[in-house]
Amino acid sequence: MRLSRNWAIVPGFFAIAIAAAILSAYSGASSSQGVAPEQPINFPHPVHVQTLGMNCLYCHYSANKSPDPGMPAVGTCMGCHTIIGPQRPARDSQPARTSEEIKKLQDYSAKKQPIPWIRIHKLPEYVHFPHMRHVNAGVTCQTCHGKIQEMARVGQFASLNMGWCLNCHVNGYNAADGMRAAGYEPTPADTAAPIKKARYDCGVCHY
Amino acid sequence: MPNDATEPMSRTDGTTAVRRREFLKVLGASTAAATAVGCTNEHVEQLIPYLTSPDNTVPGVSTYFATTCRECATACGVIAEVRDGRAIKLEGNPDHPLNHGALCARGQSALQGLYNPDRFRTPMLRQNGSLTPTTWETAITTLTQRIAGARAQGQNVVFINQAESGSFPSFIDSWLGAFGFPAHIAYDAEVDLAAREANRQQYGGVQAPTYDFAAAKLIVSFGADFLETWGASVPQQLAFGDARAALADAPRFIYIGPRRSLTGLNADDWIPARAGSELGIVNALLAASGAGGSGTLAAAAQAAGVEPAVLERLSTDLRAATSSLVLAGTTGPDAFQVAAAVNTLNRSLGNEGKTVKPAEPIASLAGPVAGVAHLAPVIARMNSGAVPLAFVRGANPAHTTPKQMQFATAFAKVPFKVSFSSVPDETTLLCDLVLPDHHSLESWGDAQPVPGTVGLQQPVMEPVFTTRATADVLLGIARADATLASRFPVATYREWLTARLGGPAALTAALPSGMIAGAVEARTATAPESDAPGETAPLASQTGDFDLVVYLSPTLGDGRGANKPWLQELPDPVTKICWQSVVEIHPLTAGRLRIKPGDHVTVTTSAGTVTAPAYLYLGVRQDTVAIATGQGHTGYGRYAERVGVNALDLLTGSPNGSGGLALTQLKASLTKTTDRSMLVSTEGSARQHGRGVAQAVTAADLLAGRSEEHEAFPGDKPHEFLPGLKSPVASDAIGDLGKNEHKEQGMYKPDHWSGMAKRRWAMTIDLARCTGCSACVTACYAENNIPTVGARWQGRSLRPFHTSDGSGWDTRPGANILKGREMAWLRIERYFEGGEDGSSEFEARFAPMLCQHCGNAPCESVCPVFATYHAPDGLNIQVYNRCVGTRYCSNACPYKVRYFNWHGFGVPARRQYAFPEPLNWQLNPDVTVRGLGVMEKCTFCVQRIREAENRATLEKREVAPDEFTVACAQACPSRAILFGDAADERWTMAKTVQDARRYHVFEELNTYTAVVYLKKVTHPREEPNAARPAGGAE
Repeated sequence: MRLSRNWAIVPGFFAIAIAAAILSAYSGASSSQGVAPEQPINFPHPVHVQTLGMNCLYCHYSANKSPDPGMPAVGTCMGCHTIIGPQRPARDSQPARTSEEIKKLQDYSAKKQPIPWIRIHKLPEYVHFPHMRHVNAGVTCQTCHGKIQEMARVGQFASLNMGWCLNCHVNGYNAADGMRAAGYEPTPADTAAPIKKARYDCGVCHY
Repeated sequence: MPNDATEPMSRTDGTTAVRRREFLKVLGASTAAATAVGCTNEHVEQLIPYLTSPDNTVPGVSTYFATTCRECATACGVIAEVRDGRAIKLEGNPDHPLNHGALCARGQSALQGLYNPDRFRTPMLRQNGSLTPTTWETAITTLTQRIAGARAQGQNVVFINQAESGSFPSFIDSWLGAFGFPAHIAYDAEVDLAAREANRQQYGGVQAPTYDFAAAKLIVSFGADFLETWGASVPQQLAFGDARAALADAPRFIYIGPRRSLTGLNADDWIPARAGSELGIVNALLAASGAGGSGTLAAAAQAAGVEPAVLERLSTDLRAATSSLVLAGTTGPDAFQVAAAVNTLNRSLGNEGKTVKPAEPIASLAGPVAGVAHLAPVIARMNSGAVPLAFVRGANPAHTTPKQMQFATAFAKVPFKVSFSSVPDETTLLCDLVLPDHHSLESWGDAQPVPGTVGLQQPVMEPVFTTRATADVLLGIARADATLASRFPVATYREWLTARLGGPAALTAALPSGMIAGAVEARTATAPESDAPGETAPLASQTGDFDLVVYLSPTLGDGRGANKPWLQELPDPVTKICWQSVVEIHPLTAGRLRIKPGDHVTVTTSAGTVTAPAYLYLGVRQDTVAIATGQGHTGYGRYAERVGVNALDLLTGSPNGSGGLALTQLKASLTKTTDRSMLVSTEGSARQHGRGVAQAVTAADLLAGRSEEHEAFPGDKPHEFLPGLKSPVASDAIGDLGKNEHKEQGMYKPDHWSGMAKRRWAMTIDLARCTGCSACVTACYAENNIPTVGARWQGRSLRPFHTSDGSGWDTRPGANILKGREMAWLRIERYFEGGEDGSSEFEARFAPMLCQHCGNAPCESVCPVFATYHAPDGLNIQVYNRCVGTRYCSNACPYKVRYFNWHGFGVPARRQYAFPEPLNWQLNPDVTVRGLGVMEKCTFCVQRIREAENRATLEKREVAPDEFTVACAQACPSRAILFGDAADERWTMAKTVQDARRYHVFEELNTYTAVVYLKKVTHPREEPNAARPAGGAE
């Protein structure tokens, strides 16, 4: 009697397993990895970072002191682009040209409107991600965001799924790998640096 | 309005700009869906940056502004936490001379006035009979014309303002004077004018002395509810809490009155004197001590309906006490005489200067304040048609005066009425023009909390709507008049203030602390004329079955709190009723009349009638019924509408001897109706049933080291904690119960390399200090995005069943609470001890109840999805995104502190959404807004722990002891709650873990809770000759 009752549970488990599989496939761990939407202004990271050598923190000014990395205000852009206008004169053996993108920026500024950037990296609201903890621990921006300095149009590099987060929190961050991910050769100090692990109990990020 | 921005704040330039708060709204809410991307079903969100980066703020990091609370006249200092341009939390200013960092529930709720969804968006002008939106230009032009038209009859113009301290009252007077109008009337229905007037006469002009509770050995209160609505409640709570913290040496407290209020429940003894008999008692006490007075104690006892021996003992004790403190806050027609006699009694007992300190007055509770008697002549003039123009600001006399005074009818006869209210209320809806004022958190101002210090009020954020500061509107009108412009040589009220507070440099220097040395101009106006509208006959000579006691609601006050869902949802500390009016009847009386709890009873007086459900309360006399003020609004926004009854409908405008409304003036009769409704109560049981949730120890037992017996429960014999309040066992989510190798670890090993296991976040709650005021509850709502669930539209769907209003929804106020679906992570449990036979000798105990963060938590082992588990730093964590809503944990929890989100109160698209725009602007960005179907509970403010850890790491140091605290502990006006790391003895909290009074609730369950309760200390009367037992506490 007892045995048969136990066996009767089995089809129920199968039904639950199938339902779970369908649900998981339908709505489960999705990710926007690789999505690179068109932005209102085609902002060229390569020019600013590689050609001009600007530091990430110049524009994303609170990434090392706040959970929020900070998006540059229109005023920050205009700090340079008041002078660097859309008309570029011929120099360095390159012909004169007009930048439509700088024109758009100046239009926003003239109209006193902020630029409605399309958000790419977004964590669910039940996750709290403090940027400054990661930046100050020496994690390179590119470890999570990819080689932004080479992206003509920014896309989501990592899956941003929890497993991906835990990969680092549990196994640790290797400074040399971080430098390689950023596209730089690790220094001997990086190679010698100990692997940094982080807390991974749920309540560290979920509250 | 550049004048309205504080220095540390930024703003966009120019008027065509998208206002910063508008695009922050998008940034914060992140819901702007534009197009779909690829083949996923995710919506595109926008990331809107600043136009110009503000100087002193970092996105995602809070800025703090010191300002002044204007929710009542006391004017406590507050610190507003502002995140990305929005105020998200108010906390007391630790340096303020009055509140020293504490803040009451009403002060916390100022934010819901700021973000009230019913606020006026624009000025309103009456057109074709209804108030319609208009522009500021039209509104001001209209008002200017009306003022010009009224100047011929200028002496009859009426300006009613809220009672407040600071420069603004004299500013209004100078403005009114410039136009030839009389000085304004400062009206406040909550102020005890009787006590103030008696003090003024007897203490050389001082209206509100401070009271030193700690210096007294015996405190006697004649109806003065000093922990809730009487006087400056927060400073008084701090002082009373400190007095009670002396434990065995703490003063005994006797409360005298027909109803035992929250303050009364904190007393050791209650003398249930009949309403109106207090004067006889005070006079007899005076006579007994040979200090004048008249009458005998026996006669007074006869009139009061108490045993003569009770008063004899009171008299003996008062004379025997080395120091005492007697307070009067009665609300009858003889309130002034009682207050005056009590002042005389204090003087004869030598308390003046010792426990009553007129030399240290509370300056904010001074100045000429008007009551009903001062409004009566105004009403008469309005009725006669003599008043051409009336202004009202911050006061709602149409609701806070008895209907019998006919304020609304008279007010309607004024040809042009102007309101400066920022929310619709009964008076404002009668007006012809509404010029919505800024909220106090959006505008400049000042207050005078104590002599020599001015409290500053500064805007902490850009205005939410297109409102304008009343002071600036008045200034603009005066400056537009060529003949008056020279009298007002400043463009804005800020400049006007700056000139009076020592110039721009001094103001800028003072703003960070929110205080500046100095004094504001006192109002030159004298008290307005008073015309007592027919005093009522003494209660004893009236006919009727019951004495009617109307009292000010501790949560809603005179009704001004009723449009704030936090205050509606906050259970009354005494009755535990929310979203409802009840008639309080003694259980024996109810038994005699066959009235059961919830039966609708009609209370009838000579002035009117109200019908409300009956609530059986031991703390009212058998010949008395009591009703709270505050409810019964007809036009105070969505949260106040159709909730309860207005108790003032039962009263005449009879004054209390100094102009204030006598709240206890009439006899009433009681009729049971056939209707009944469930009581909207958060209470399970008023009795402890031997469980020992709220334990107490008498002062004598404490000294002798004895403890109260409570029923022993079967089960495992309690084990001792490991050092640092850690649990020796863990029935954790790992499932290996009882296995030796898992006994000492939670989900993770205690020696986890992160080093966090060294911590054990824990809390101490000192029941000797706790008064049950419930400020912590509202602080918790504010900090943790807790939804309110009692509004009429938040009930469940009843389709396809029939509902009385045909909507198919359960639209009873508090419908969810009736089903036990309230969400208060922290609640105050109120228990009665004794009085089962209906006697007045019962004791009340309060126990704040929240997640106990058990070391060995029953909830953890039953969760099938590991959504709740024990973190290495001692927290019982609830992971919302793991939770599937089985509710097993709630079932398993012995403390019933887990709350299930039944209707998706945090989901904007749902009918039950608790934060309609712009209430959602207040949401704390550090805390997840929970959606449908998840379990939630107290987190020990884990976001504050993480913030402190993040800050410490950023500064390359450890978290310092007492570096931060949790929201409830921060707010507590009696300093009953301490939070800290029990495993680190440098924290103040850790020092209390071994206190002699410690206990853990349900210790016998071996849950190893992180909340340490310290027993309440009671002070039963000792015979004066009986020697105290010798020996120490331990």
